[in-house]
Amino acid sequence: MFLEIRDLVCKAGDFSLGPVDISLERGAYLALFGPSGSGKSLFLETIAGIRKSNRGYVTVDGMECTKLPPQKRPVAMLFQDYALFPHMKVSDNIAFSLRMKGKGREEQERRVMELSRYLSIEDLLERDPDSLSGGERQRVALARAIASEPRLLLLDEPLSALDQELREDASELLKKINLLGITIIHVTHNKAEIEGIATQTLNFPPPSQF
Amino acid sequence: MPIFVLMREQTFYNKTRINFIFLGGVLLLFLIAPLTGMFLSLKAPNLFETIKDPQVTASITRTLLISFLATLICSLFALPLAYILARKNFPLKGVAEAIIDIPVVIPHSAAGIALLGFISRDSLLGSAASSMGFNLVGSPVAIGIAMAFVSIPFLINSARDGFAAVPLRLEKAAETLGATPFKIFTKITLPLAKRSVVSGMVLMFARGMSEFGAVVIVAYHPMTTPVLIFDRFNSFGLDYARPVAAVFIVVTVIIFLIMRIYQKK
Repeated sequence: MFLEIRDLVCKAGDFSLGPVDISLERGAYLALFGPSGSGKSLFLETIAGIRKSNRGYVTVDGMECTKLPPQKRPVAMLFQDYALFPHMKVSDNIAFSLRMKGKGREEQERRVMELSRYLSIEDLLERDPDSLSGGERQRVALARAIASEPRLLLLDEPLSALDQELREDASELLKKINLLGITIIHVTHNKAEIEGIATQTLNFPPPSQF
Repeated sequence: MPIFVLMREQTFYNKTRINFIFLGGVLLLFLIAPLTGMFLSLKAPNLFETIKDPQVTASITRTLLISFLATLICSLFALPLAYILARKNFPLKGVAEAIIDIPVVIPHSAAGIALLGFISRDSLLGSAASSMGFNLVGSPVAIGIAMAFVSIPFLINSARDGFAAVPLRLEKAAETLGATPFKIFTKITLPLAKRSVVSGMVLMFARGMSEFGAVVIVAYHPMTTPVLIFDRFNSFGLDYARPVAAVFIVVTVIIFLIMRIYQKK
């Protein structure tokens, strides 16, 4: 299995989630559907390593990640409000993870151009994030998330900040990202938005198999 | 609503406004009158003499330079502390915050006495410096220490508020994008809190260079400008102290204006 989550328990204050067990094939698109407050963001943050789990383990592509800091996990995350860095222009936002990994300027530029063409945001590269529309921000945030070629992409309510008419385009975009071979976990409270994208759907939190 | 009720409300509002303007105006006058009076009673020849007086220019340069260096050096310690206070909860955090505010509430002459004990030859720090042939008391280092002690709360508090205002999710996003905690601080948090950090540094610098009470106790000589103003007043009277005070006020007001313009930008 590409992703193995076993007996995962995470806590934030008084809130406790789990134990959660999930297995996923490479290239899958898993939609986790659950109401607000069910701990979906907490779950994604634990897989990304931003939060420590209290129990259990996470393995991505054979790599035991449970104790690894987020920087060392082959995982990227798209935040609900996209969390673009407001003091950097779009191209610097996209290249951020490459800079952090010490990639050279040429490689950064090449990758930024490649992604911006793929996601049709070539015209936005010199703009400030604050000047972008919701749909444009989402594209930039996706480009930034996949720039350093993560193997697993976590999407936290990626369509909730978009108007109805933009959602269809955005859903297509997510499929396109999935086609690159990136395994995706998409959490949402809106069942309608995952129809036609997800290869698997689970209610959240999924019942433990143990 | 009947028209007379509206009129009554209108009149009440106007009366309130007039009273508020009057009270606020009195306060502004109170602040501006002594300074204006001082500048009006200046005599041009005295002022030019003061500007050319090497003792005055040397003291202003010394004051600005020491305060600037104290601010820079203290930033190295203050910014990490401000960041921890903004981001982490830990036991006795309230105590740490109270300690930081102590220099603001104690009399600065008392702070000077405490610092004198801290740097005198009998103390650990003073004897260590003394063994290297360096007497801290009455040195520029002592001036810097006194300036830093009384002014550092301004930097820490301003920077802490700035760091706290940076959304935590941006730091989390940076973390998932491969940034180490140090990179997150230098590439995300610090640039986004730049305005508050710079304001805090300017406030610390301005407060440090204006300090008299603590500085005069740890180092009467070499004289900083506030000490020089006091010395001239004490030795020669108001007419000799006034031009030095005027020149120094102009310098501080220029710095203050630059800060205000930067903040508004």
